[in-house]
Amino acid sequence: MFSFLVKRVLAGSLIVVMVSILVYALFWYGPKSPALELCRRDTNNRCTDAKLVDYEQKLGYDNPIYSEYGKWAKGLVSERKIEFGTTEYVCAAPCLGLSYRDRSQVTEQLKDRFPVTLSLALGASTLYLLIGVSTGVLAARRRGTLADKVLVASTLVFSSLPYYLVALLSFLLLTLSTSAFPEVQYVSFFDNPASWFSGLLLVWLVMGLYGATAYTRYSRGAMVEALSEDYVRTAKAKGLRSRTVVFKHGLRSALVPVVTIFGLDVAFLLSGTVFTEAIFDLEGIGKWGVEATYIKDLPVVQATSLILAVSVVVMNVIVDIVYSVLDPRVRLS
Amino acid sequence: MALPATELVGHDEQSAPPSEGERRAIAGRSPLRIAFDRLRKDPIAVVCFIVVLFFVLIAIFADQWCDLLGVSTETVRASDFIDFSNQLPKKGPPNHGFDPEHPFGVAPGTGTDNLAVWIKGCQTSMFLATMAAVLSTIIGVTLGLIAGFLGGIVDSIISFATDLFLTFPFLVGALAIAPILNERFATDPEKLRTVSFWALIAILTFFGWMGVARLVRGEVISLREREFVKAARVIGAPTRRILVKEMLPNLIAPIVISFSLGLPAYVAAEAGLSYLGIGVFQRESWGRTIAAATNWWELYPQYLLAPVIGIAILVVALNLLGDAIRDAFDPKTRR
Amino acid sequence: MKRTKAFAAGISATALALTLAACGGGGDDDTSSNSANNDDLSKGATTSGGKNPDAVGPAPELEGQQEGGELTVLAPDPDDGPALLDPAALWSVTDNGIAQDLLFRSLTTFRQGEDGSYELVPDLATDLGTPNEDFTEWRFTLKDGIKWETGDPVTAEEVAFGIKRSFDGDAFATGPGTSYSKPYFEGGEDYNGPYASGDDFPGVTVEGNDIVMKFSTPFPEMDYYSIFPAIGPVPLDAKAADYGLNPLSTGPYKVERFVPNQELVLVPNDQWDPATDPARRQLVDKYTFKFDFNPQIAGETVLSDAGATTVVTALQSTDYNKAQQDGLTDQILVGPQPCTGFVMPNFDKIPEVEVRRALAYAYDYENIWSAAGEVVGVTLANGVTDPDLGFGLLPPGMAGRTPFQGFDGEGISFDPDKSKELLAEAGFEPGEYEVSFVYDASTPEGEAAAEQRQRGYEEGGFAVKKYPYTAGSLYDVWTDPENALYKKINLLGTAWCQDWPSASTFMPVIIGTGSAYNTGNFSVPEVDAEIERIKLLPVDEQADAWGALEQSAMTDYQPVINTGYYQNIFGFGTSIQGLANDTSVGGAPDYRTIFISE
Repeated sequence: MFSFLVKRVLAGSLIVVMVSILVYALFWYGPKSPALELCRRDTNNRCTDAKLVDYEQKLGYDNPIYSEYGKWAKGLVSERKIEFGTTEYVCAAPCLGLSYRDRSQVTEQLKDRFPVTLSLALGASTLYLLIGVSTGVLAARRRGTLADKVLVASTLVFSSLPYYLVALLSFLLLTLSTSAFPEVQYVSFFDNPASWFSGLLLVWLVMGLYGATAYTRYSRGAMVEALSEDYVRTAKAKGLRSRTVVFKHGLRSALVPVVTIFGLDVAFLLSGTVFTEAIFDLEGIGKWGVEATYIKDLPVVQATSLILAVSVVVMNVIVDIVYSVLDPRVRLS
Repeated sequence: MALPATELVGHDEQSAPPSEGERRAIAGRSPLRIAFDRLRKDPIAVVCFIVVLFFVLIAIFADQWCDLLGVSTETVRASDFIDFSNQLPKKGPPNHGFDPEHPFGVAPGTGTDNLAVWIKGCQTSMFLATMAAVLSTIIGVTLGLIAGFLGGIVDSIISFATDLFLTFPFLVGALAIAPILNERFATDPEKLRTVSFWALIAILTFFGWMGVARLVRGEVISLREREFVKAARVIGAPTRRILVKEMLPNLIAPIVISFSLGLPAYVAAEAGLSYLGIGVFQRESWGRTIAAATNWWELYPQYLLAPVIGIAILVVALNLLGDAIRDAFDPKTRR
Repeated sequence: MKRTKAFAAGISATALALTLAACGGGGDDDTSSNSANNDDLSKGATTSGGKNPDAVGPAPELEGQQEGGELTVLAPDPDDGPALLDPAALWSVTDNGIAQDLLFRSLTTFRQGEDGSYELVPDLATDLGTPNEDFTEWRFTLKDGIKWETGDPVTAEEVAFGIKRSFDGDAFATGPGTSYSKPYFEGGEDYNGPYASGDDFPGVTVEGNDIVMKFSTPFPEMDYYSIFPAIGPVPLDAKAADYGLNPLSTGPYKVERFVPNQELVLVPNDQWDPATDPARRQLVDKYTFKFDFNPQIAGETVLSDAGATTVVTALQSTDYNKAQQDGLTDQILVGPQPCTGFVMPNFDKIPEVEVRRALAYAYDYENIWSAAGEVVGVTLANGVTDPDLGFGLLPPGMAGRTPFQGFDGEGISFDPDKSKELLAEAGFEPGEYEVSFVYDASTPEGEAAAEQRQRGYEEGGFAVKKYPYTAGSLYDVWTDPENALYKKINLLGTAWCQDWPSASTFMPVIIGTGSAYNTGNFSVPEVDAEIERIKLLPVDEQADAWGALEQSAMTDYQPVINTGYYQNIFGFGTSIQGLANDTSVGGAPDYRTIFISE
């Protein structure tokens, strides 16, 4: 177990490093360098060659890529001094650099925005499991009946629509036109738990209902399979109560595929939900990262990519551990 | 789990002994045949199959349908159809009755026929989503199967690659790659049209196979410890045979589900990318129509509903059909 | 500055990121009737309002004015608002509207007079400045009792320092300084602001409470230029790069929270003394600006109960139609903008004047606008929708302007036959002459507009090649001769707004040789010579001379094709009162007159 963990963490770190290098290189060697983009933006498209050289120097694009990447990476562990224009900024470790857009410290911004994304992820993932797995199990137990088909079909219709459309129309209809839900807003949990809950309720429901479909389908499929396994039949034959059989024996192994996608979904949720944040006007990580990609704000793109990479790696390890708990036959090696 | 009776495994034995007549009938039929017969008797499966076939036919013969119905996506003079005072059509929905020349009405602002756009959009969306779903399922299943079964160094490498792709930010990639292509082929619009379309399929595939791969790997890790696989190993069955004959049939459920979930997900992803301005262009697609029609949801709901209903029906039919197919192949199902 | 700032994708093929700023004179648009009628534009996006050197604070009380309430202003995507709130860097309709009305006082400013027109009034200065005979020296006297939000007094040295900062084209490249400070001030070309060139600059000096400016080129419009925040005070210890993130206010509000391009929250500044300020008011308790906002949500919000105290700076055409349909016209205001959009034929590639004229008749104006999602005759309009507007360079209302009605004076419309005739005159059969253009393919509207445009050209006898572009702003292509697409196309474009009600902020930019926004490279020595001649004419003769040049250049050369004059649609909640279109900054809500009723 321990050596497994060490191995996974090492491999995970390697992945994180590789992704951050790839993202860095994608921008560095892309057709429009961040320096050009920023220069055009600052000068209303009147970026002269001399000015571009100036911007490249300012942002370090005249240096070799490895030395700039090295500086960035070093900032993660030690304090860094960054010169921007005429000012020198002190960026305390872990330093993710300064946003090109507003010269704010990326690390500080991240601290502001991550709680929003984390709140969304918590609520949404809880609903994924609650709604998805319960309807899945229900459908599996009524397999082949009309109830099964209706349950499956209704979750499908909802999630067959493009997500941004569902989110947008729910928002317009449920908060603006009818005020069926309280105004959507983010309030820190520690400031006011009640407002935190009511402000995000609609968002969670939209995300949860939309995302739960996959869980309904997977848990139904796996449950059907599990319920016809020998050991479940044996348990039934022993005379165990149907409920015990379903939940103790069936659900346990049916959760294996569910856990896989759940781990990934949580990782993706933690790296930000672009459409949700954009439509409900919540300042999380997803919207931040996409906006930064448009304007080639490399330090911010790096930071958001890093969040995604770390989330995926961590969730992967957790998922593998959960596998071994759910299914004792799985060896961790 | 369509395994021949001669296999040295016990998991496929029917729990209730078939009656004498049934036994004779089954003995003479291949597993495929059994599944097919079962499907044929399942009314939901038949209906869903017809629906999917209907969409497939629309997609394949899109041009012929347009000719047959007398509609076209050609640019028309907007003022012939549009009332500039409110940008809505002069004839047909939403403010006037049914217009037989344009059964779905015409688009606000431009006057382009909605039915023709819907048919062509169906073609684009079906093709795009099918290609992406097929390719990502093939890649995902193959890699997942190999990684899960072989384990060790192979598993480590494949898992590493999977994780690398998973960790790479999809939107950053798409947003960064789209302008690169656009600049590269900017001066050749025809080529750009083709290249950008296949690039979109490639992007969707590249960033879509990992889920399947991980799912399959997880299942295989759990399967390979099972008695029937161990037994097959003991008797010295070659790896390829074990993978294809023992493992794959057990994976039909997750594969069918992920395919039938993946297909609509790609249709939706295309719509999402359209919304961000990096979807398909210079051709019609449901995603694009939805992106354009979202603004009109109150003033001209029919415009938005046509592609939305198209997607919804297709997705539900595909999924229910997927379920039915899965069930039909499952020897444990008793009817 | 820009009318809207689109980075990844323009909102449509015609509604381009207009680059240029603000500052019109008084418009005489009728603000008391908030109906969305289309007559506003023909009355003029701008007219040269009067000057009132004797105006003193406090600002006159508004009819029914009330205090209190919190106001939300939504600026829909692609308007992403200020990146920096540095006085020297501000040059955009949205940003200047906020900064000039609420935060930064400058030497002069505009205010809405009792008849609704905008007049130039003193702000930090005691009057509108005293020029010498030939406008090569201006002297302004600073009022007493002006304070920073910190309570410290504002000094003449700080005003001079602020003006000197505008010369730093490097640190404040988006600011107006490179266009108006550097070319006119004595020694301005060589002076790069206090950070790069030191504080010693003879062009701007302080004598007691007076700020003295010296010019090498006569600058009769310095009193207009003084409405820019760049001609106002900045603390002497302000850093070049950071000040715009934490600026100090002299106006009725101060910054509580500023997230660049995203959010700006303003609260009342208790150090602001209304007695010194003839234009501004402090009626609302809090302003929250949100930039780059989802346009659809913005529109739905402002027309619903939830948006009673909300203002939207640019409604979509669908929301406009919805408001019309639901009888909510008293919640929208159509505001003219002193801006014109152009197709610019590349002068070297299309040298035949008949062909350039033919292009004006082959552009299917209304259908292109409609496909682009514009409200025909409202958000975009020209002689096609209202003959009085014409098809010229200068926006309606500009002094000296006569509406251009085509080379034959008979007006222009989409007329394929006339286009073919003109092509035949130049010796081309239908389908022989190829035109090519680049369009924004990232939105369905952009593509639809390009298709309508192609159809129009083809009906007009042209062969058409169109190039989709999704990699950024179309200006990337139009302004970059090295771009591969630039080399392929022969039709380019630009959209331009005036800086103040003078054609001198328009004509040289569009048809002067070498101007960055003369994207068609139009270049005729006689026209250039005339531009230089007019610049040196007495002030009161200039307007008519510019108007005459517009007529002759358009008639003789057709250097550009007018693709419409712009109007903005503002939306406002049911509790909002006093919303006016501030033409003095180029068409933004006038935050000096808004209040919330109970």
